[in-house]
Amino acid sequence: MSEQKLQSQTVQTTGHAWDGDLQEYNNPLPVWWVYTFYATFVFAIVYWVIYPSWPFGKGWIGGLSDISYVNSAGETKTHSWNTRALYLEDMNQAAAAQKPYFDKVQSMSYEQISRDPEITAFILSSGKALFADNCAACHQAGGQGVVGFFPNLTDDDWLYGGSYEKIHQTLVDGRRGYMPSFSEVLSAEQIGDLANYVAGLSGIPHDAAKAKAGDVLFHSETAACYYCHGADAKGRKEVGAPNLTDGIWLWAGVAAAPSSEGKVAAIRNVISTGLAKGVMPAWGGRLSPEQIKVLTVYVHDLGGGL
Amino acid sequence: MAVTTYSGAEQYNFDIVKKFAVMSLIWAVVGMFVGVYIASELAWPFLNFDSPYFSFGRFRPVHTSAVIFGFGGSALFATSYYVVQRTCQTRLISDGMASFTFWGWQTIIVTAALSYVMGYSQGREYAEMEWPIDLLIEVVWVTYLILFVGTIMRRKQPHIYVANWFYLAFILATALLHTFNNLAMPVDLFSMKSYSLFAGTQDAMTQWWYGHNAVGFFLTAAFLGMMYYFVPKQAGRPIYSYRLSIVHFWALGFMYMWVGAHHLHWTALPDWTSSLAAAFSILLLMPSWGGMINGIMTLSGAWDKMRTDPIMRFMIVALSFYGMSTFEGPMMSLKEVNALSHYTDWTVGHVHSGALGWVAMISFGSLYHMIPKLWDTKMYSQKLIEWHFWLATIGIVLYIVAMWISGITQGLMWRSFDEFGNLQYSFAESVAAMMPFYAMRAIGGMFFLSGAVLMLFNSLMTIRQAKQENAVLEAKLAAKLARA
Repeated sequence: MSEQKLQSQTVQTTGHAWDGDLQEYNNPLPVWWVYTFYATFVFAIVYWVIYPSWPFGKGWIGGLSDISYVNSAGETKTHSWNTRALYLEDMNQAAAAQKPYFDKVQSMSYEQISRDPEITAFILSSGKALFADNCAACHQAGGQGVVGFFPNLTDDDWLYGGSYEKIHQTLVDGRRGYMPSFSEVLSAEQIGDLANYVAGLSGIPHDAAKAKAGDVLFHSETAACYYCHGADAKGRKEVGAPNLTDGIWLWAGVAAAPSSEGKVAAIRNVISTGLAKGVMPAWGGRLSPEQIKVLTVYVHDLGGGL
Repeated sequence: MAVTTYSGAEQYNFDIVKKFAVMSLIWAVVGMFVGVYIASELAWPFLNFDSPYFSFGRFRPVHTSAVIFGFGGSALFATSYYVVQRTCQTRLISDGMASFTFWGWQTIIVTAALSYVMGYSQGREYAEMEWPIDLLIEVVWVTYLILFVGTIMRRKQPHIYVANWFYLAFILATALLHTFNNLAMPVDLFSMKSYSLFAGTQDAMTQWWYGHNAVGFFLTAAFLGMMYYFVPKQAGRPIYSYRLSIVHFWALGFMYMWVGAHHLHWTALPDWTSSLAAAFSILLLMPSWGGMINGIMTLSGAWDKMRTDPIMRFMIVALSFYGMSTFEGPMMSLKEVNALSHYTDWTVGHVHSGALGWVAMISFGSLYHMIPKLWDTKMYSQKLIEWHFWLATIGIVLYIVAMWISGITQGLMWRSFDEFGNLQYSFAESVAAMMPFYAMRAIGGMFFLSGAVLMLFNSLMTIRQAKQENAVLEAKLAAKLARA
């Protein structure tokens, strides 16, 4: 190789050798390397001029780049570049883009919103992120819920009512689903009778004789189930008591039970132990009124009704 | 000029080099296996088995410690002991101290891994070991320093070879970093738990001063030391430029110490601290490239070996990845780029382009050069080295490309707004979008791991073959003696 020959003729090694044959050429620094190194110094200095950089006295050199933002008191502040000011400026911009829509949402009734395609599109877009960030952890990404834990929001079964007003109330104040435990009030036999009756309401195969006894018990003062679930067992939305006749089961693992005996047993379990875990937190203090309104419409769109 | 090149136990302590070299390969396989496992956990979460002992959070430091300190650390001990003896033409000053560093270091890796799985961690990245292990590291490391400096002082060469400067910088800086980042108060004498002496953002700053200089001195300077010996040896050519080696050595050492804060952009760290670090990261680009240029230019003139010598190919690919990741790093350290890349898989991809592409590849090349010399034989199979090279290279490419796409996708999804000024995606949607890339990354890791397994097999067979050759020689010698 001619290049190699040229190099070894013109460039000397340092004259040292280690471990037999280890040597070093005394080539000069590559020119492009030196100039690029200088260029990085120029870059660094420019960077330090733009951004806050060196500590100085009790503070630091702020740099030439400024950021203006409006704080929560509505005052405009200008500050040398910093992460927190940049965040506030970014949030100002996003809020400014959203403001005309949020203003409209706030001024319109639910009835008007449902007839305005532009606002509906806005709500679908902002509601998606709001729902994903605040609601999906329990109600799941599509709002389908988890049997035994969190209600399905996409069916037309609403514990407390599925109207705009009721969903709004649920969001602002939260809900606390409760059913007392009957294991100490009723005998195991009585609970079994009730379970067979309730199973029969939604067409699950059951023991007819027991169900008949359960029917009496359901409407008696001993068990008093009808207080909450209603004499027709179709539930009472005022207290969040579910309809027992529609075949939709939130708490009892009916769908998962393979046999009809298992389904009845799942109902018996709920009557026996009661429920105290149906807690929906209140979002009134955590989300803005506009956000609550957006979520109300979004959730109503998922499966709202009466 | 001394040109004696005879080797053997009477002149050098090669026993310690052999031990560290074998452990390096074993830790490579163990550490990379755990890496593939946790990568698979991210793609297929059932692999967590709902058990804390199998969880990503506990296995992840097992992976990083086993590959960085087990594989990388043992490779550095092995090569530094080999290089310092050969280039100073003197034996290590103490066999006992050398042996202590070996057993001490292996104990550290094993106890660290066990303690992570049990749930003990300082929560400091790459410094997760709790205080009793930290103390053992301190003792082993100081022994290493004394041994290394002592050996250099006893050299039979007037000049200290460049590889030794880099090794020494690595040992000194690591001692400093390890000591200050692990200042902590144990809860009590019989508890593994301790609390850091620093609080809040100062604690974060100390950790990333350590974290980035662990990359700078442990994973860069030390492996440059390896490069400065094994590349010219394998190429059979002199180092390209002595002057460049001096300039980039000092520039690298000076610049690295400033840049740790670029890991803390967009956090509670004061803005001036992180922009200062960002600018120094740009200044670090050319000093880093100095090492790459010196390596690649040393190979120039021996390009024909690229076709025939797979070891050379490991080295040139290592240098190329070193150049690429030391370009990518400064770019990512700029505030505006970092706003996109921070907290995404891009960071993970960047680390691995350095770790797999540079650190592992240069170690593989160096160990392939060194192992046959240590056991005085040839590598068992040249073909397996070829296989290893291609498996490793394909593995790295799959890994990095997967993480680039995944990281940039994450960054873009998190910041994208729709026409109404609303966030377009939820966080969960960005997680779902990562799935194919996590699978691709795990597969890339499997390629890389398979290569390491081939290397371990090839090396063990080489050692076996050396023992057989030795036995034959001894039998011949005995027969000769018997006849005489």
